[in-house]
Amino acid sequence: MSAVEISDVSKAFQSVTAVDRLSLSVPEGSVYGFIGPNGSGKSTTMRMIANIFHPNSGAIRVFGHAPSGSRSGEVGYLPEERGVYRKMRVRPLLEFYGELRGGRSVSSEVNTWLERVGLSNWAEEKVETLSKGMSQKIQFIAAVIPQPKLLILDEPFSGLDPVSADTIRNAILDMRKAGCTIILSTHDMGVAESFCDSIFMIFRGKKVLDGTMASIQANYASDTIRVEVEGGLSVMDGLPGIDRINDRGQVQELRMGKGCDPQQVLHTLASRGRIFSFAVVKPSLHDIFIRIAGPQAEEKRHE
Amino acid sequence: MNKILLIARRDYIQTVTSKGYLIALVLLPLIFGGSILGTRLASRGNSTSSQRIGIIDHSGVLAQRVIQAAEQLNESPKYTFDDLKPESDEAGQVLSVSNRIREGELLAVLDIPADVLQASDAAERDRVVYYTNSTGRAQLGSWLTTIVNSSLVGLRLEQAGLERARIPELVRNVPVVPMNLAKRDPATGKIARGDASNPLQSAVVPTFLVILMVIVVMVGSAPHIGAVAEDKTQRVFEMLLSSASPFELMMGKVLAALGACLTTSILYIAVGLMALMGMSLFGLAPLHLLPWFFVYLIADVLMLSAMGVALGSACASAQDAQQLAFLMFMPVIIPMLMLARISQQPNGGFATAMSFVPPFTPVLMLMRQAMPGGVPWWQPWVGLVGVAASVFAVVWAAGRIFRIGILATGKTPKLAELGEWVLRG
Repeated sequence: MSAVEISDVSKAFQSVTAVDRLSLSVPEGSVYGFIGPNGSGKSTTMRMIANIFHPNSGAIRVFGHAPSGSRSGEVGYLPEERGVYRKMRVRPLLEFYGELRGGRSVSSEVNTWLERVGLSNWAEEKVETLSKGMSQKIQFIAAVIPQPKLLILDEPFSGLDPVSADTIRNAILDMRKAGCTIILSTHDMGVAESFCDSIFMIFRGKKVLDGTMASIQANYASDTIRVEVEGGLSVMDGLPGIDRINDRGQVQELRMGKGCDPQQVLHTLASRGRIFSFAVVKPSLHDIFIRIAGPQAEEKRHE
Repeated sequence: MNKILLIARRDYIQTVTSKGYLIALVLLPLIFGGSILGTRLASRGNSTSSQRIGIIDHSGVLAQRVIQAAEQLNESPKYTFDDLKPESDEAGQVLSVSNRIREGELLAVLDIPADVLQASDAAERDRVVYYTNSTGRAQLGSWLTTIVNSSLVGLRLEQAGLERARIPELVRNVPVVPMNLAKRDPATGKIARGDASNPLQSAVVPTFLVILMVIVVMVGSAPHIGAVAEDKTQRVFEMLLSSASPFELMMGKVLAALGACLTTSILYIAVGLMALMGMSLFGLAPLHLLPWFFVYLIADVLMLSAMGVALGSACASAQDAQQLAFLMFMPVIIPMLMLARISQQPNGGFATAMSFVPPFTPVLMLMRQAMPGGVPWWQPWVGLVGVAASVFAVVWAAGRIFRIGILATGKTPKLAELGEWVLRG
């Protein structure tokens, strides 16, 4: 069964179409990653699922129900631009958010979560006294108590240090194990690739990718050479048959053009320096993203 | 707990425990009360302080009469007089006394012409003038007019042959006392004449009730416009909107304002009643008006705080909210400006018509009801229907602005755009 079913949904703000005839099905219990450039319609789609925006046309069903005026306690939502009442103390704040969504006292869950993210000692402090990382953890807790059936997280890891990001990541995985369906947006393609069961990419309001990483990559040929070579980018000039080079620092990704022979590329590179690794692979999600939304794709569209 | 009540509880606790509310709770009555007390004291200070007034009497007969009359009139002498002999250089003397006034040696100088006793139609000829630079003391002019004229009439009557000793009795004023209206006792059918109206009851009680309402509304609901704008800039709403609808959110805030206002008014009324009891003036307490006071208060707060929450949600910053706050204050400030006129003729056409304008009804109808004689029984009820309709309309319009405003970005919309939000939703 689908946790979220979006059918032919459009949403416009005055003359700007933010989401254009979008259809999407999020399976129950999955982690669904939303990717796309800024302003492509990710947050608008999430807000519609969270019943904050209403579509101009089309239908959205969450666990089989169309959104109504009253909010469901089954959906937890962490917006991208998040804020909480900064003058409140942590515990009353979390109890307020939890009770507002769940309609019941959530004191015990608040204690459990505060302990879990290491903020028990801050329970009676005002939110405004917390560091940014602590504050983000509090906002995350506010979105997940009481345990929702569907959790929508708009860029949950942005601005978090690696330790805090790990804490949140582990919490999300635990919630998934407990049966929660998770929709999250991210600009970190590594997170999307490694963390999500399925990935959905929206670009200019339209769906351009949807499926598992393997199914997405299956649409692309093995047209990329991932190479680690002494001298890095400086020895890459004039490689035969290479259309484009993505420099990742220690590693370079070379996109092969039509008729490119990887053996010839390997030979040329070997003549220029020591090769530490060389693999012909399918394009990474990052590369696919760039191919769809990068400047070269834009130029092609204008041609 | 109902989501609206949950939001209201949180906002209410935040409001009544905020420093701003607690300070305003103490400060506003002090400012209002202090300004009234200050005016009284200043006025009393003027009347009781002994200040010198010079008299130049060219007639040679009126100055002593004026001085005697002033002494008789004053329970404690307000002013002491210097009888200044007229000099041949009249212009020079006027300049000289003007300089003494400038230096603060004299408060004023009364200049009585030589022919003051001759009755004449020519006002110019009879004119008694006084010089002063205390333009703010209007009391001085009316006081001098009374003293000079009573002395002059006495002298003229004496000249006409009346016995001097009888003159005060003959010219003595009789008090003209305002009375409450007569009414028929519905139980006995007897006509009961109204009592002499108590000046405290006729002036202080209505003013107190109206000022109390204005204070309570301002303390309780006005801060919402800024608070909502601040919450919006801190991005508080989006997360809440996944758990509560915009209407629930708005109504929670409106009810919180109502709770704060009721708390404030109950506190002030309790303190006021205790003070009246302490002064053995409990009979002055308009207990019969308290239900109406609370009905109007609730209506006013619902209207104003819904408006405030909506305007706050539309603002891009707390500064913009402050600039729009004047819109919120209009329904209480405009009637305040009419109070003086309405208190003169509380049942006149203007007062009656204005008290049926729904945004003004809570303040003006209450004021009229509190005045001696009150208003016809049906007027508050008709006014209430108008108020209830406008509360409904304002809350509806505010809801439409709020649900767009809280997630709107960019600059603060103009009033015309807000109107468009209301109409188009």
